[in-house]
Parts: sequence; structure tokens; C-alpha cells
Amino acid sequence: MDQQWVARPQRAWAQLAAITTPIQGVPPEFLDGLAYLDLRLDMDWLAEHWLEAASLALLAAGIWWLMPPAPSRPKVVGLLLALAGTALLAVRLHAAAGPLLETVLFFLFAAAAVVCAILMITNRNPVYSALWFALVTLSTCGLFLLQFAPFLAAATVIVYAGAIVVTFVFVIMLAQQSGAAVYDQRSRDPLMATIAAFILLGALLGTLETAGTAAAMRGSPDLAQDTGETRTTTDTAAANALSRPAEDESLASMLALGRSLFGDYLFAVELAGTLLLVATIGAIAIAPRRRRGTL
Amino acid sequence: MTGEVERFLIVGAVLFVIGALGFFTRRNMIVIVLSAEMMLHGVSLTLVTFSRVHHNLEGQAFTIFILTVAACEAGLALSLILALYQSSKSLDIEFWTELREPDLPPPMLAEDAEAAAGIPLPPLAFPRLPVAGRVPDIHDTRDAERVDDAASPTAESPTEPPKPEDVIKTASR
Repeated sequence: MDQQWVARPQRAWAQLAAITTPIQGVPPEFLDGLAYLDLRLDMDWLAEHWLEAASLALLAAGIWWLMPPAPSRPKVVGLLLALAGTALLAVRLHAAAGPLLETVLFFLFAAAAVVCAILMITNRNPVYSALWFALVTLSTCGLFLLQFAPFLAAATVIVYAGAIVVTFVFVIMLAQQSGAAVYDQRSRDPLMATIAAFILLGALLGTLETAGTAAAMRGSPDLAQDTGETRTTTDTAAANALSRPAEDESLASMLALGRSLFGDYLFAVELAGTLLLVATIGAIAIAPRRRRGTL
Repeated sequence: MTGEVERFLIVGAVLFVIGALGFFTRRNMIVIVLSAEMMLHGVSLTLVTFSRVHHNLEGQAFTIFILTVAACEAGLALSLILALYQSSKSLDIEFWTELREPDLPPPMLAEDAEAAAGIPLPPLAFPRLPVAGRVPDIHDTRDAERVDDAASPTAESPTEPPKPEDVIKTASR
């Protein structure tokens, strides 16, 4: 198995050669490489991946349906399409067997994140968009909690939902007091943008599947039973020393996170502080001076 | 088939792509910046998942830096948006297409195409609440008149958007 992964660059080169040379003179190992590339769009591929393809197509159709430029479409159809796509994606993700509570919470937060994200980018009212964005943030924080990152969840709620969304809503109220505007009722090339975005998503999912198969072949441990307490992988040798939690420490330990931040990433922390200062000065410098009684 | 890790990565990818889609299609500058923030959410989720896979805290530390940069970005973006709004009196990103590459044609706006084709604009008014303190009455004729006023296109749609040259002149003055 190891030799196969060592030989991967050569294999990629062989695949390139196989694509660029006529089929007649190709040795069998080149054809093997072609098959490895998964370029065969035959019935096997479709039978294996119809669930992902259908869910992505439903999501794309729902988003396109909900996109602003159509005044007379009933919104319910788009919502149902998007929900069906999310449900199919959930069915696709459901194969892993883990603790019941975590699985339920994962699907709750993930579905909420995806649906609220769709509603955010398709809503005609920017205030509602900001509120849906706050819900996306809360769902993402739930997923952070499931990943043993409680400090990040709290910090994200404070920074995003507490500061950024409020500032956005403030600016919307300041700049768009008359309510709906023409440019909120229209979008730019919704059909082509949706198709391009979901081709990108399909490529990302395909890459994830390939990488997941590779990790399974390398023998990565099953993280379904991982509680964050014990070290479950062995490939941490490349990590910075202070970023590794100690033997008796959980991954969720704030002590370990602080040690990583102020040990391995001390200079980066200083730089981030400088960045905040510069951004503050820049925002004050850019923000318009206003005459009395005007915006 | 689906691993415990892979599903978090898939949710991160979906969030990233939906944010990118909003970034490409929407024309309100504030919604564009919000979509960019949602792309950052997708990336943060991926980094936290990597942190769990490798059982070290580098991914979480990176996510804290993402938070910092996102806060800076939001502050700068909002002050920029306010400055642009003061010039054009609109949050429409299409006012700033003068910044495009000089050899590209100007973008075709959907409402211009519809106006050329004779399609009327949809009513732009949000539902209005009655004045506070009064008992709401759906048969109140004055409220009906007010809604009609708001729904008429002359009351809401701007008569003529300022030309970008004028806007830039105003900005430089």
C-alpha cells in the first residue's frame, strides 16, 4: 500500500501521457492509470454517486429558484427544493455510526447552517440577510462545539453575532432607510453563477471522497468514538510542539489553546494585534465626514 | 462510507460555495460582504475539523486569526461602504463598474433589459405597519391609500441614477 502512494507522482505523469497519446499505442498500465483518475462517466459512476449528484442538483435548483430576479415564482417551491437537497445530502452523510446524541446534533446544526445560508443569499431584504447570517453563525458555533472547540464557539458568537452582525444591521439601517431597492430585487447572472458554484462544490466533494478513500487506505483511526481526550492519530510529528495537547489534556482544553497561541504563534498574535490597530485607524480614516443632519 | 470527519468537511465546503454564490450574484454591497464572511465560516469549520483529525491545536489557533482578520475586514468594509454610499447614495455595486478593466464592455443590468423589453418592474414596497397607537383596521381606507402610494413605481424607484462620472466628480470634490 505504501509503495502505491510513493509512486503517485509517476502515476500522475503517466496519466497525463495517456491522455495526450492516442489510445492504440498505450500500454495497459497507462490505461490502469486512466481508470484511477476516475474519468469514466459510465453507469458505474452514476450508480455510485447518484445521491450526491441528485442532492447537489436539487440544492442548485432551489437556490436558482429563490434568487431575486423572478417576481412571480412562489417561494415555497424553491424552499422545498432546497430542503429536499439538504435532506438527500443528510442521507448521504448518515452512513457513519457514532454516538446518537452527537449525530442528531450534527444533523441539526448542519441542516440549519445550510438552509439559513441559502435563505441568506437569496433574501431580498438585507436586514433579513443579516439575521439569517447570524443564524448561520450560531449553527457553525454548534458544529465547533461538536469538534471540541468550545472557546472558538464562544468567541465566534461574541465576535460575529455580537459585533459584526450588529454593525452590519446598523449600516443597513443608516444607508437604506427607504426599504426595498431595485438592486436587491435583481441579481447578476443567477443561472450561470449557480451552475458554476455547484460545479465547484461537486469538485470539492469529489476531492474529499478521494482523500477520504486515501486516508482509509492509510489506516486512519475511526474518529466516531473520539472524545477529544485521547490522542487518536500518530501523524502529529510535524506539528509544532506547543500546539499538541499534553497526554492528560483534552483537545477542548483552553489551557492548551492558550499555550499554542502564546507559544508557537506568539509573533502571529502580536501581528494580529497590530493588524487590529491599523484596521481601526484605517476605518476611522476612510469613514466619511458628514455634514450636520446628513449621512 | 462517510467518515466522521468527512461530513464536517462537506458542510464546510457547502457553506463556502453558498457564500461564493452570494458573493457573485448579489448586488447589495452589504450582502456581498456578508457572503464573504460566510465563506470564512466554511474555512473555519474546515480548519477546526483538521485540528481534530491531527489532534493538535494549530487549526483552532488559525481559526482565532481568521476571527481577527474577519473583524478587521468587516470594520474596513463597512467604512468603505459608507464612503461609497455617500458618493452614490446607493448600495448598488453597479455604480462602481467604472473600476473594471478598460477594455471590457459595461455590464448589462437586468432591470435595463427588462425595461427595454417592456416588462414592468415589480412593486418595491415592503408591507407597512399602521401608525403606532392606532388600532389596526384592515378596512381603513387611509391605510389602503398609503399602500397604494407606496406601491406605485414613481414613489419608490429613483428617477435617474447619477452617472458614474458625476459620482466620481462628487467624490473628488
